[in-house]
Amino acid sequence: MESQNKTFSGGRKYSNGEITVYWKPDACVHASYCYRELIEVFDPGRRPWVDMSGADTDRIIEVVNMCPTEALAWKWNDENRNKNISIDQTNHINFRRPELIITEEQPVQENTVSVKIMIDGPIVIKGDFTFKYSGNNKELKAGIISLCRCGASYHLPFCDGAHRKVGFEDK
Amino acid sequence: MEANDNKKSLTIVEVIDDGPLKISGNIVLKDLKRDIIDNFTEILLCRCGRSGNKPYCDSSHKC
Repeated sequence: MESQNKTFSGGRKYSNGEITVYWKPDACVHASYCYRELIEVFDPGRRPWVDMSGADTDRIIEVVNMCPTEALAWKWNDENRNKNISIDQTNHINFRRPELIITEEQPVQENTVSVKIMIDGPIVIKGDFTFKYSGNNKELKAGIISLCRCGASYHLPFCDGAHRKVGFEDK
Repeated sequence: MEANDNKKSLTIVEVIDDGPLKISGNIVLKDLKRDIIDNFTEILLCRCGRSGNKPYCDSSHKC
């Protein structure tokens, strides 16, 4: 069997004895599902920012599975339990998320770009597109970018999570 | 419809300096706060946080 597991070089691990959550900062696009859903566990303002005692295992798994990137992933500490993982456990380390794999057979979806407006957060764009900014011209294939919508980012045009600090409210 | 030349990305995402985000192509927009899913071929999205018509630009950045 081919090992397609996500790699976590440079990442961090957090465990509650039952599961281990992996955090890969460079993959994060600040889509902000984790802390919106479960600030008790995922609090970017706290160090360490992940507190595994903040919720029960099922809830942590549920929220990790919401992460639209590979920044957050998880596995059971009991390896036997990792053998039969259902397909809806999208962020289990044995899965590659389908939308992050090279798209081969998506005739209808071809050239369609997904633009997601995150709640009180950034614009997350996924797909094949040309990205133009400040004189740059980048061809992105199956790319994903997260762009600031609050105007407060220090890394414009990209989101750096500043919307949370400034209390950006989309209304 | 005739097949287009699909080798190049048809969608263009352009950051307009001191202005909105312009996206043109085949777009599926999902607004999680307002629970809206819609298709567009061109949109201008607010980047300054001041639009009164979010997520779209209403030129408030010029004020």
